[in-house]
Amino acid sequence: MLALVARVLEWLRSLFWKEEMELTLVGLQYSGKTTLLTVLASGQFTEDMIPTVGFNMRKITKGNVTIKVWDIGGQPRFRSMWERYCRGVNAVVYMVDAADLEKVEASKNELHSLIDKPQLHGIPVLVLGNKRDLPGALDEKQLIEKLNLSAIQDREICCYSISCKEKDNIGKLLFLIASSLCTLDQMFGNINDI
Amino acid sequence: MLKKFDKKDEESGGGSNPFQHLEKSAVLQEARVFNETPINPRKCAHILTKILYLINQGEHLGVMEATEAFFAMTRLFQSNDPTLRRMCYLTIKKMSSIAEDVIIVTSSLTKDMTGKDDNYRGPAVRALYQITDSTMLQAIERYMKQAIVDKVPSVSSSALVSSLHLLKTSFDVVKRWVNEAQEAASSDNIMVQYHALGLLYHIRKNDRLAVNKMLSKFTRHGLKSPFAYCLMIRIASKLLEEEAGSRDSPLFDFIESCLRNKHEMVVYEAASAIVNLPNCTAKELAPAVSVLQLFCSSPKAALRYAAVRTLNKVAMKHPSAVTACNLDLENLVTDSNRSIATLAITTLLKTGSESSIDRLMKQISSFMSEISDEFKVVVVQAINALCQKYPRKHAVLMNFLFTMLREEGGFEYKRAIVDCIISIIEENSESKETGLSHLCEFIEDCEFTVLATRILHLLGQEGPKTNNPSKYIRFIYNRVVLEHEEVRAGAVSALAKFGAQNEEMLPSILVLLKRCVMDDDNEVRDRATFYLNVLEQKQKALNAGYILNGLTVSIPGLERALHQYTLEPSEKPFDLKSVPLATAPIVEQRAENVPVAVAKQPEKVAATRQEIFQEQLGAIPEFRGLGPLFKSSPEPVALTELETEYVVRCTKHTFVSHMVFQFDCTNTLNDQILENVTVQMEPTEGYEVMGYIPAKSLVYNQPGTCYTLVALSEEDPTAEECGSGGDVSFAFASPAAVACTFSCMMKFTVKDCDPNTGETDDEGYEDEYVLEDLEVTVADHIQRVLKPNFGAAWDEVGDEYEKEETFTLSAIKTLEEAVSNIVKFLGMQPCERSDKVPDNKNSHTLYLAGVFRGGHDLLLRARLLLTDTVTMQVTARSAEELPVDVIMASVG
Repeated sequence: MLALVARVLEWLRSLFWKEEMELTLVGLQYSGKTTLLTVLASGQFTEDMIPTVGFNMRKITKGNVTIKVWDIGGQPRFRSMWERYCRGVNAVVYMVDAADLEKVEASKNELHSLIDKPQLHGIPVLVLGNKRDLPGALDEKQLIEKLNLSAIQDREICCYSISCKEKDNIGKLLFLIASSLCTLDQMFGNINDI
Repeated sequence: MLKKFDKKDEESGGGSNPFQHLEKSAVLQEARVFNETPINPRKCAHILTKILYLINQGEHLGVMEATEAFFAMTRLFQSNDPTLRRMCYLTIKKMSSIAEDVIIVTSSLTKDMTGKDDNYRGPAVRALYQITDSTMLQAIERYMKQAIVDKVPSVSSSALVSSLHLLKTSFDVVKRWVNEAQEAASSDNIMVQYHALGLLYHIRKNDRLAVNKMLSKFTRHGLKSPFAYCLMIRIASKLLEEEAGSRDSPLFDFIESCLRNKHEMVVYEAASAIVNLPNCTAKELAPAVSVLQLFCSSPKAALRYAAVRTLNKVAMKHPSAVTACNLDLENLVTDSNRSIATLAITTLLKTGSESSIDRLMKQISSFMSEISDEFKVVVVQAINALCQKYPRKHAVLMNFLFTMLREEGGFEYKRAIVDCIISIIEENSESKETGLSHLCEFIEDCEFTVLATRILHLLGQEGPKTNNPSKYIRFIYNRVVLEHEEVRAGAVSALAKFGAQNEEMLPSILVLLKRCVMDDDNEVRDRATFYLNVLEQKQKALNAGYILNGLTVSIPGLERALHQYTLEPSEKPFDLKSVPLATAPIVEQRAENVPVAVAKQPEKVAATRQEIFQEQLGAIPEFRGLGPLFKSSPEPVALTELETEYVVRCTKHTFVSHMVFQFDCTNTLNDQILENVTVQMEPTEGYEVMGYIPAKSLVYNQPGTCYTLVALSEEDPTAEECGSGGDVSFAFASPAAVACTFSCMMKFTVKDCDPNTGETDDEGYEDEYVLEDLEVTVADHIQRVLKPNFGAAWDEVGDEYEKEETFTLSAIKTLEEAVSNIVKFLGMQPCERSDKVPDNKNSHTLYLAGVFRGGHDLLLRARLLLTDTVTMQVTARSAEELPVDVIMASVG
C-alpha cells in the first residue's frame, strides 16, 4: 500500500517538477568531488573523506529542481570509465585541485582526452578549481591558461574557482545550478558574469 | 550443441516458458532502457531477468557487450526499488567474470552493505566479494571485518561465506580476520556459527596443531548449531584418518559423544563418520550401527534412506556388524519408497544367509522395473558380491542377471551386468559354458558397441577352450555380417583366435576369414588379411606371438617411436624392442566384497606416467645416450621420515645398462635455501656411480629434483652385448649384483634466509644429511607383462634356456601367502588368473610373465606344494640365458 502511495506521489511530482538535471562529476583523485557532493547535498563539510572506489550517485533537490549527480572515482583505474557516465548528461563538471600545482598538467591531459571522445561531443563542461582557500591556489584566469581551456571551441565551457571548505562561492554555484531552469547557456553565461 | 537440444526438449515439453525464444541481441538492445530517466523498476527488473536467463542457459556474451550492459545496469542503483536492487546484485554476481571494470560498483555496494536496510546488506556483501580482486581487497577489508561481527545474522553469514571464497585468492589478507571470525563463532545464530567455524577451519587447515586446538576448544564449550557439529565431526574424522590407527584419542571420543546429540542430523553424521573410518573394529562400529538401526524405523523417509544406505556400505566391509539390523531391514523391504526397499534388499543379500537368497531375489525382481538404473546397478553389485561369497548359487544369480540383461536399460547398467557376468565366469569355471552362451545371445541384439566388442574379445579368449567351440562361431560370424565396422573388426579377431587354437576348425575359419577380406572397412579388411596370412603358415609360434598374445608395448610409446623413425629414415629396420613396454595393469586383489569396476583406470595412468618420466629424463643431456627408458618404479620410495627438515623420495628408472635414481627433495625449513643439492650413493659390487645431476637450489616448500646415474658393471650378465662364452659364465659368479642396497647421503650448500622477505645471505656452508638406504631389487629389472595365453607363450619361447630348481619356503604357511610373496618379490605379472589359489587344495601352479631389462621375454612357472611348509619347483624360460640365471639366483 505504502509503495503504491509512494509511486502515485512520485508520478505527481514528476508532473510538476519536470526540471531534472543530470550532471557527472569527474576529476583527478583528491580534488574534492565527493566533498562537493556532500556539501551540496547536506551543507556539511567533512574533512576526512575516503577515496571513492567506483561511483556515488546523489540526488539533490533545491527548490523545484532535482539534480542527479554521478560522482566517479578519480584514481587512474577509474578514469577510463568516466566517459561511460558522461554520455547524455546535461553537463560534465570537471574538478581540479587548484592548490596542487604538480597535478595540474595531468589534470589538463585527462580533461582534454575526456572531451575529445566523440560520444561526448557538444556536452557543456564546467571546470571547478577547488581549494581556493589554500595559499598559492590558482585563480580562474590562471586555471584557464594552465588547462588550456581556450583551445576548446566546440562546446560551452567555463571555469570557476570555489572552496568546499570555506563554502566559498558554493552558495552562488548552487543558486546558479538550481535556478538555471532556463537553458544551460544562460547558466554558464551567468557564472561568467559573477 | 547441448543447449540446442535442451531448447528443443523444452519446446516439445509444452512451451510454458516465457523466455523460450529470447534473442541475445534483442535483449541487450532492450537493456538501453536502463539509461532512461525516470527509471521504470518493473520493466528493468524484467530485462535483468532475461539477461540472467540467457547467461544461465550458456549463451556467450562478448566482453564488449557484457561491459556495455553492465555499465548500463550500474545506473539502476539510482532507483531504490528493493526488487530491482536485488536483481542488480544477482546481475553483478553473474557478470563479474564476463564484463570488464566491474569494480566500478564497489562504492555502491559498500554503501549498501553499511546502510540501514538489512535486506540489502547481506546480498551486497555477497556481490561485493565477487567483484573484488586481490588488489582491491585492502580497500574493503575494514567493511568486511565489520560485517563479520555484525549483529544481523544474514550480514554476518554473508561476510563469512564471502571471506571463505576470498581465502582462495588472498589467503594472507583474509587470515587477518581470525579474531572477527572467532567472535562470530560464539554467535547464537546457528548459521553464523557454522559459517564462522568453516572459515576458521579453512584458515588453519594447514596447521594440524591449530586445528586440534580449535576442535578441543569447541568440544569443551559446546556449540549451538547442529551444522557446526556436523562440520566438526567431519574435521575430526579427517584428522583421525590422517593419524591412522590411534582410536583412543579425544577426537574419536568426541565423534562418539555426538551419537547422543539431540539433533538427528548430528547423530547421523557421527554414525556415518565412524562407519567410514578406515580399519574400524567391530566394537567401535557397534554404537554407530545401533543408532542407524533406530533410524531404520523412523517415520521420516529421508532418515530411513540415509540409514539403510549407510548400512549398505557397512555391509560391504563388515557384514557381521549389520546382521543385528536384519529384522529392521526386513521391514524396509516392503517400504513404499523403492529406493529404500532396494537398498534394504541389497544389504540383506550381503548379510543374510545362503538360504534367504532365493526369497530375496524373488522379492526384488517383483519391482525391478520400477527402480532407476542407478539402483539397478546397486543390485547388480550386490549380486556380484554374492557370487563370490556363495559360488554354489551361481545358477540362480546368473539367471537373474540374464533376465535383467534382456530388459531395457542404460549403458552403465548394462555394463555393470556384463562386468558382473564376466567376473563370475572368471571366478567360477562351472558357470563358464552357460555364461558364454547367454552372452552370445546378448550380443545378438546389443546396442552398445563397447559391450559387444568386449564380449567378442572374451569369446575369443575363452571360447576355444570349451568342450564345443564350434557353437560360438555362428554367433561371432553373425556379427561380421550384421554389425557396423568396430564390432566387425572385433569379431574377426575373435574368429582368428579360434582358428589359432583349434586345428579341426582351422579350414572353416580360413573360409570365413577369406570372406572378411572383402569387407568395406579398412580396419576389418586389414585384420582379416593379417590373420589369414598368419594362420595359413600353420606355425604355433607365429600363432602365439601374433594372434593369441598381442602387443606388449605401450601404444603411445609405439606411436612416438614410429613417428621418430619416419622422421629419421635409416637402413636399419624398426626395432620393436626400443619401444617402452606397456605397464600391465596391476590387478588389485579385490577387497572381499568391493564391487567390480575398480581396476579400470590405472592402466592409462601408469602408461602416461612412464611417458612423462621418459620425457623429463630425455630432456637432460647426460641421459640422452641411455636408450629408451625400460621401467620406472611404480611408487616413489621415501628416504626420510615424513616430518623431517628435508623430505626426499626416490624413483628408480631402469635403462638397458644403466639406472637413474631420481630424488625428489623438499626443503621444509623456511629460513634456509639449499643449493647444489646432490645425493651421494655408496655403490656395492656390480654398480658404478657415473655422475650426479644436482638440483640448483631448493627454496622453502618447493620440490626440486636431482639425479644420480649409475652404470651396471661390465661383467653384469645383462649388459647389452652379452654374447656367449667365458664372459657370461664369469658374470654368473655375482648375480647378486642385480639386487643390492645403496647407502645414500644428501650433500648441499646451506644459505640462511629471512623467512619473511626471502633475502638470502651470500655466504653459505657445506652440509650433509644422511638418508635411509635404498634397495634395488630384481623387480626393478623386470617389467610386468600380461600374456593372455601363457601356454602359447611358453611354447613360443621354447626350452633352449630352461632351468629348473626346487626350493623350500620354510617361513610360509599357506599357498596364498606364497603366491603373493613371489609375485611381489619378482615384480612379474601373474597370467591365466593363476594368482588366485582355489580353496581347499594343497597344490597350485603359478604362471608369471615379464620382460627383462634389454627386452627379453621371461616366463616363470612355479609349482607349489603345501605340506607343512611350502615346497616350490621353479621353471624359468627365456630367449636368452642370462635372465633365467638372474632370476634363479635371486629366488634362491
